[in-house]
Amino acid sequence: MKRREFLSGSASAGLLGLAWPGLLHATSAAPSFRFADVTQHAGIQFQHNSGAYGGKLLPETLGSGCAFLDYDADGWQDILLINGMDWPGHKRQRSTLRLYRNDRNGTFTDVTKAAGLDVEIYGMGVAVGDYNNDGFPDIFATCVGQNRLFRNTGKGTFLDVTRPSGLSARQAFSTSALWFDYDRDGLLDLFVCNYVRWSPEHDVFCSLDGKHKSYCTPEAYRGDTCWLFHNRGDGTFEDVTATSGVFDSSSKSLGVAMLDYDQDGWPDLLVANDTQPNKLYKNLRNGKFKDVAVEAGLAFSTEGKARAGMGVDIGDFENSGDPGIAITNFDNEMIGLYRAVRTGTYDDISIAAGVGLPSKNTLGFGCAFLDVDLDGSLDLAVTNGHIEETVRNIHGNVGYAQPPQLFLNQGGKFQDVAADVNGDFAQPKIGRGLAYGDFDRDGDLDILLTTNNGPAYLYRNDQLAGNRSIRFRLTGTKSNRDAVGALLRIFYDGQSQSQMVKTGSSYLSQSELPLTFGLGTRDKIERAQIEWPSGVKEEFKNLAAGKSYHCTESKGFTPSAGF
Amino acid sequence: MRYSLSVPTSSRLERSPASGLLLGLVITLAVVVAYSAYIRVQLAGLRKLQSDMVDRGRKDSLQLLRLQNDLNTVALAMRDMLDAGEPYPLVAWSAQFDRVRGDLDSALRLEEQYAEVHRTPEQRAYLSQQLSQFWDAVDRIFLLARAGKETEARDQIRLSLQARQAALSTTVSRLLIENNEAEQQADAQIENIYNGVQRQLYIFLTAALIAIALTSLYLIRSNRQIFARLAALSAQRSDLAQKLIATQESTLRHISRELHDEFGQVLTAIGSLLSRVEKQVPQGAPLREDLREVREIAQSTLNNIRSLSQALHPVLLDEQGLESTLDWYIPMVERQTGLKLHYEKSGAAYPVDATASVQVYRVLQEALNNVKRHAGAQEAWVRLQFQNDSISLEVEDHGKGFSPDAGHQGIGLVGMRERAELVGGTLQVFRREGGGTIVRLVVPAEKVEAHGG
Repeated sequence: MKRREFLSGSASAGLLGLAWPGLLHATSAAPSFRFADVTQHAGIQFQHNSGAYGGKLLPETLGSGCAFLDYDADGWQDILLINGMDWPGHKRQRSTLRLYRNDRNGTFTDVTKAAGLDVEIYGMGVAVGDYNNDGFPDIFATCVGQNRLFRNTGKGTFLDVTRPSGLSARQAFSTSALWFDYDRDGLLDLFVCNYVRWSPEHDVFCSLDGKHKSYCTPEAYRGDTCWLFHNRGDGTFEDVTATSGVFDSSSKSLGVAMLDYDQDGWPDLLVANDTQPNKLYKNLRNGKFKDVAVEAGLAFSTEGKARAGMGVDIGDFENSGDPGIAITNFDNEMIGLYRAVRTGTYDDISIAAGVGLPSKNTLGFGCAFLDVDLDGSLDLAVTNGHIEETVRNIHGNVGYAQPPQLFLNQGGKFQDVAADVNGDFAQPKIGRGLAYGDFDRDGDLDILLTTNNGPAYLYRNDQLAGNRSIRFRLTGTKSNRDAVGALLRIFYDGQSQSQMVKTGSSYLSQSELPLTFGLGTRDKIERAQIEWPSGVKEEFKNLAAGKSYHCTESKGFTPSAGF
Repeated sequence: MRYSLSVPTSSRLERSPASGLLLGLVITLAVVVAYSAYIRVQLAGLRKLQSDMVDRGRKDSLQLLRLQNDLNTVALAMRDMLDAGEPYPLVAWSAQFDRVRGDLDSALRLEEQYAEVHRTPEQRAYLSQQLSQFWDAVDRIFLLARAGKETEARDQIRLSLQARQAALSTTVSRLLIENNEAEQQADAQIENIYNGVQRQLYIFLTAALIAIALTSLYLIRSNRQIFARLAALSAQRSDLAQKLIATQESTLRHISRELHDEFGQVLTAIGSLLSRVEKQVPQGAPLREDLREVREIAQSTLNNIRSLSQALHPVLLDEQGLESTLDWYIPMVERQTGLKLHYEKSGAAYPVDATASVQVYRVLQEALNNVKRHAGAQEAWVRLQFQNDSISLEVEDHGKGFSPDAGHQGIGLVGMRERAELVGGTLQVFRREGGGTIVRLVVPAEKVEAHGG
């Protein structure tokens, strides 16, 4: 009897222990913001078409991406959604990518047709950048087959310049892409991830039950090299893949992020590979790159396994000045959350930071560091969703649709508050792309996410606790006009934050280029320091919260009233 | 008889069980030490086997797998290089080969360290030679490719590089198989060691159990003997004491009788004679005075003799019994010692046999003696109770008291106990609450009557 009492006592103590995190959750983590699903209200009526007809072709499971961009340069973020299409021989509908112009009142207007973007492509991802420095962002859409480059005419329309730009020579199964100025010549160059060597004719038969065809894992296919295109400055690009050292025919790349991992002022690249070691391409400052992922501790998991990397983002989530890294992985593989133990060397701290275990049974795709509660430290948003509809039959604890996650950074510990932010944000989805931007110009970051063969979602962020922010829009003069690669540091009360202007990151998606720093309840910062890609350094003092500053390289800044 | 019996017993007892116990302990300790040493040797062997053979072998295998993986990557790269649909020139692969080369070199270095134990220098040299030949071929091919001789380079890949890669892969596979076999052998050895240790453990446990059991049995037997001997000694001692007491009593009684009867008669006769002679001597004659003095001396001697006789053994006990003796004795002690005695009698008195009476009387004598000599008390209580089944005598004083548990027990107390046992009774001596001592003698009535019979 005594023993039984003891056992039941210890059992209840154990239950109490289990209940603790829940209790903490209930008490400490009432987030200081809410999400509102404004997709319908904003007029975003989008349905992704994967083209799936039952053939279970590999690309069907992976699309597609989205972007926040200001295509008309009016200071309001517009939305671009990438779409797939029906497979040849299985034509049922017409589906195109979609461009939504911001009406500046919380709604959007579908301007796809007017902009000349109502083209059918089997689109995957998108990278937005002003490659010709004309002040209007251009669109590079990655596809299965032929990628497309749409030049922004500056008059609300786009021109398909794929062929004249020299980008039509290569065809592949492209995924994420980014614009960056690797040689710092003031012109944005283009990096494109390719997944595997696949064509409908060579699709491999894979099966989970031995009878029905299912989607293959990438092991079934040969890898393919990523591409690096050098911007010649005359509207054409040169394929420097083979000579720059990024050629690697074994890679199966899905995500790419730019970062300056060694803080030498030259942009490096981190490529997330599926079932292959990740690559960290160190910029050797002579137009060449060298893979140092193994030395940096990013190639493999801590168990030495090449994981199934999907999305990737970088962010100074510890406010240490050294960028940290997040890489989403397959189910049964946690998110890799890396911090720099010293410049250039990384440790995966996902379990200790509270990101590892909650992501154990999720298949993560899009991911982004953003200060969603404007408290001054970067949080992590992740979209999840499996690639195989019948996955629950095999892994009971893994679903096809999975809730997105929103890890709030609470002093270095992350906690998923997705379920507490309303707006049905935590509704399970077959999530893929994820991007953020302040579409309503209220100073906080709203979230756009896409689903496979499903709708896109726009979540408006509403601050409840009065946290404030300061925003910066950078325009390069000597540097590339988008200032991609510019590093901005802000200082206040003995603390600092840093962010880099970057394209790419996440999965197939791109967030807005302006930078948003959360300041909590502060009403000003002491100074802001900009390191332009050209090498120019500038510093601005006494900047007020609640404003957006437009900084032009070597020409000072203009504050706006409000954001 | 008892004495003659006890002689061989005591001589056997001189052999102490300590030596036997010591032997048992030594044997047990020796078994433990021997087994510990054995285990140490076996563990050291096991550790050596595991670290040298198994762990190193496994680490070596991991490096070999890494080599194999790198070689596979190279094979895939070569396949891609020969792919006609590949748009890139062959030199594009050089970075990939460089990366693999770095990894292969590092893997090979580690592999050579781990393989040191179980591979001949020739074997080790063979792998690195093969590898360096492979890389020489790779370098030649990229040289050709850089020189624009793509077709020639592709031919070289087909003719030379792929074959070298396959040969290397085979070598690595063979080494992996060897490692696997070595590991299996080591596993078998480890299994043998575990089995041996297990066997030895059973033997050790059995031996230790036997040693402990034998020692325990010996100890139990020795203890039994010791207790038996102690009981015998105790019985002997008691017997001796009782005999001593009996002898003493009979001697005292005899002397008392002699004194009373012989010297009493003689002195009485002398007194009568002197009295008669005195009457014949004229009044006032000096002789008459002398005779009177002599007669008085004789009378006084007679009184002393009678008193001594009573003291040695009250004749009253034999003639009038215990109760009357105490009636006479207690006032006499009061007179002689100055102690104030409160004498309480209860119950209907019945006759008590002489032997028992003497012992009760002697206990009372000794108890009062103790009160006088040790208690420092001025009064005492004597209670005699005749009950149906027993007679009880209690002497109580309110003096200093004494500890009944004190190691040193007076000979008097021992005597009292022996006397109590002699009549089948019990003697209790205990401290009285509030100070003083109570001595209680209880004699079963049946014993007293049996004696009386």
